[in-house]
Amino acid sequence: MRSITKFAMEDIKLPQKEILRSQGIPDEASLSENFERIYMEAAELFQELAEPKAIIAGIGVSDFEEVFRGEGLNEKENPVEEIFRKSSHLALFAVTLGPVLSEKVTELFDNGKYAIGYMLDSVSSYAADKLADLAAQHLYAEIVGRAAPANSLRVLNYSPGYCGWHMSGQKKLFEALRPEEIGITLNESCLMSPIKSVSGVLIGGPGEIHEFVNSYPFCNTCIARSCIERMRNAVMDAGG
Amino acid sequence: MELLSKISFNLQSGFDETVTALTKEAVEKRIPPDEIMNIGLIAGMNIVGEKFKNHEIFLPDVLLAARAMNCAMEVLKPLLIKDGIPIKGKVVIGSVKNDLHDIGKNLVAILLKGAGFEVIDLGNDVPAEKFIRVAAEENADVIGMSALLTTTMPVMKKVVDMAKDEGLYSEVKIMVGGAPVSKAFALEIGADAYSYDGANAVETVESFFRENS
Ligand code: B12
Ligand code: SF4
Repeated sequence: MRSITKFAMEDIKLPQKEILRSQGIPDEASLSENFERIYMEAAELFQELAEPKAIIAGIGVSDFEEVFRGEGLNEKENPVEEIFRKSSHLALFAVTLGPVLSEKVTELFDNGKYAIGYMLDSVSSYAADKLADLAAQHLYAEIVGRAAPANSLRVLNYSPGYCGWHMSGQKKLFEALRPEEIGITLNESCLMSPIKSVSGVLIGGPGEIHEFVNSYPFCNTCIARSCIERMRNAVMDAGG
Repeated sequence: MELLSKISFNLQSGFDETVTALTKEAVEKRIPPDEIMNIGLIAGMNIVGEKFKNHEIFLPDVLLAARAMNCAMEVLKPLLIKDGIPIKGKVVIGSVKNDLHDIGKNLVAILLKGAGFEVIDLGNDVPAEKFIRVAAEENADVIGMSALLTTTMPVMKKVVDMAKDEGLYSEVKIMVGGAPVSKAFALEIGADAYSYDGANAVETVESFFRENS
C-alpha cells in the first residue's frame, strides 16, 4: 500500500487556546485587541495558503528494521524499537503543509510584519504536528475499511529525532518512502524542506503496545515529553 | 517632553505609523535625536519588556512595538550618525549552514534591534566562513548563531574554532541558541553564552557590554 492524500482544510482544526498554549500563553490570559486581530489574520492566511499532503506506504517488520537501524546511531534501548516489534500494522509516512506558507512567513518578516509572521509560523507549526496525527487516522480508517480490527487497535505516529530514534534515520526513511513525490526533500543535515514537514512511522496495534515507562537515560534531557499525550491517546477511544 | 511621552505611549501600543510621524515631528522641533531615542523609543520599549516579563502582554504585542521602534529608528539613524552618537553595539546573526529554519533567529534579531543594537542579519544556511568574515569586516561585537536540529549544530563549533584561528575570539562574544542547543553545549564548544529566548538574548548581549564598560 502506497498512497498520497491531500487533506481538506476542514480536517485541520485550529483550536486557538491550544495554539496559544504552544506559545506559552496560559488559557486565562487576557489578550490585547492587537493580539486578537493578529491571530485572526494569521488563521485566515493559513486557510488560504496551506497545502496539506501526506504520503503513506505500508512496510513489513523486517524491512522496517532495516529503515529503523538507519545509520546505526539510535540509542541502544529505545521505546520505538520495543513498540514496532509488537505491531500489527506498520507504515512509513511524511506530511507537509507545502512551501507557500513558509514563503509567506519569510515575506512577512522581510516586510517588517513580524507579529503576523510569527503568528502564522506558530499556527503552521501546530498544524504540521497535527497533520502527522491525521496521517495516523488515515491509516486507521484504511485498516478498519479493509477488515474489522481488534477493538483496541490504535495507530500512532513516531518520528526520527524523538525518543532515541536518531535524526539521521530520516535518510533510510526517505530512500524507502520517496516523499519527494509530494515535494519534501531532505538535505545533508537531515533537515526537510518545506520546513513545516514531519516524517516517521505509523505503528498500529493494540493500545497497550504504545505504553511504556519514560525513564530512558535520554528522557532526562527531553524537552518534548510528547510520549505523555501519546500514551493518553493510546488508552482513549479508538480512532488513530 | 509631552511629545516624547506620546512617542513612548504609541510605541507601547504598536502604532508604527503614528510613532514614525511623531518621531519626524520631534526631529522638526529640534529635539536632539539621542533624546528622542532614549526618552521616547527606548523608554517605551523598556515598559514593553517589563509588561512582557510580567505576562501582561505577549510576543506578538512586543513584535508590534519592535516594528514601531525600527521604523522610528530609520528616521533617527542618519541623524545619530551625523551627531557622532555611538551605537550601542553591533551583532552579526544567522542560522547556521544547512539550517533553513529562521523564525527563532529573526525574533532574536528584531528584539535586539528593538533594544537599540545594530543587527546584521545574514539570513539562514550561513557557512562558518561567512560569520567570521562579516564579523571581522564589520568590526562586530557579537556573533549570534541559531540551529533547529542537533545535526546542524557542529557548524557552531566550527565558527568558534575559526574565531580562535583568526584571532577574533577575544574581540567578539559568541552566543548560540535554538531548540536543541543548551548551556552545556555552549560551554563545550567554547561559546560565550547560550540564550533560551529572545528576551534572554537581549539581556545576555546587554550583559556583555556591562562587562566591558
Ligand atoms: C514546532 C516544532 C516543529 C514544527 C515546526 C518546525 C519549525 N520550527 O518550523 C514541525 C512540526 C514541522 C517540526 C518538525 C520536526 N521537528 Co520539531 N520541534 C518543534 C518545537 C516543538 C518548537 C520549535 C519552534 O519552532 N519553536 C518556536 C521558535 C520561535 O523558537 P526557536 O526556533 O527555538 O527560537 C527561540 C529560541 O530557541 C532562541 N533562539 C533561537 N535562535 C537563536 C539564536 C541566538 C543567537 C540566540 C541567542 C537565541 C536563539 O530564541 C528564539 C525566540 O524565543 C521543538 C521543541 C521545542 N520545544 O523547542 C521541536 C524540535 C526542534 N523538533 C525536533 C524534530 C526531531 C523534528 C523533526 C526532525 C521530526 C521529524 N522526523 O519529522 C522535524 C524536522 C522538520 C524539518 N523541516 O526538518 C527536535 C529536534 C531534536 C534534535 N535532536 O535536534 C525538537 C527539539 C523536539 C525534540 N525532540 O525535543 N517541529
Ligand atoms: S520523555 Fe521524551 S524522550 Fe523520553 S520517551 Fe517521552 S518523549 Fe521520548
